[in-house]
Amino acid sequence: MDVKILNPFLEAAIEVIQKEIGVKAERGDLSLQKSALTTDDVTVLIHLVGEVYGVVMYGMPKNTGLNFVSIMLGQEVKELDSLTQSGIAELGNVISGAATVKFSLAGYSSNISPPMVISGRGVQVSTLDFPRIVVPLHTEKGDFHVHLALKETAPGSQPRPEEFVKLAVENFPSATAG
Amino acid sequence: MNVKFLNPFVEAAAEVLKTETGQEVNRGDLRLENGNYQTDDLTVILSLVGAVEGTVFYSMSEQTGCQLASIILGEQFEKLEYLAQSGIAEVGNVITGRASMKLADAGFETTISPPALLLGKGAAISTLDFPRLVVPLLTAAGPILIHLALRQGNARGLKTADMSVPKAFTGI
Repeated sequence: MDVKILNPFLEAAIEVIQKEIGVKAERGDLSLQKSALTTDDVTVLIHLVGEVYGVVMYGMPKNTGLNFVSIMLGQEVKELDSLTQSGIAELGNVISGAATVKFSLAGYSSNISPPMVISGRGVQVSTLDFPRIVVPLHTEKGDFHVHLALKETAPGSQPRPEEFVKLAVENFPSATAG
Repeated sequence: MNVKFLNPFVEAAAEVLKTETGQEVNRGDLRLENGNYQTDDLTVILSLVGAVEGTVFYSMSEQTGCQLASIILGEQFEKLEYLAQSGIAEVGNVITGRASMKLADAGFETTISPPALLLGKGAAISTLDFPRLVVPLLTAAGPILIHLALRQGNARGLKTADMSVPKAFTGI
């Protein structure tokens, strides 16, 4: 995965955390992982489609989630309930949205899916043949991990490779037409 | 959720699973769930973006997953190893792709994301303010549940990244 995909996400994450949470996020060492992600307490999952496509996950321990949402809402939250999940999802949504704006300025058009939130430690999320870059962000309100499993197509090319028909292609002539 | 988004998925799933397993697929009773989805052993997750947006899960037990992978790949799997995972994710991908073509025929252009696979029981997935319509399918490999958390989107295909950018960022 190219740095031109990586950097917009990191810039967006650092800017959004600064703006919404009011803390400075320090970037830790990047790592490239081919195995499945093992979830932390809370993970926001957002898909990207378009010229940059794949999945982005934001994982964090419970205390980071509670601290961040307490600041965003201006009132203390103590549990990872639906209000807290919604706040954390919104943070992921805003970061991803800001990153796609940066992509579009760089000539890549992509769109994001609605977020979903996985609660519970120790479940594995596999992105299959998408290798995953993990960027730890450290803040005084807790750690926050950005996982990027993204690929790109060349700008201006067909944004939707019809890869999904490969398994059943012989069985479904109508599925491959056009 | 609008029921007109349901049928393309049920039809696509029945067609694909029937072709892949060579046996009829029966549909169980629909239900609407508002709370979190408690994960089963294996869950394929895909998102749709466009005129219909949201998330689709295909969930099954390890036993069903192994059986399904064994049938479609023609080799016996005792465990959900990488190849089996990949085969099952591909089935989710094919069903969703086929459903998105049916949606396009009905006038809803959507783009599907690559699949992600969640392994492990007992986590909770929230689709937030999207209620989930759950469709049980009884296949030759065992029961598979389709969860649809979809709504009509405001994005017009893949034109811009304007969909989910909050007002605070329009100044960037």
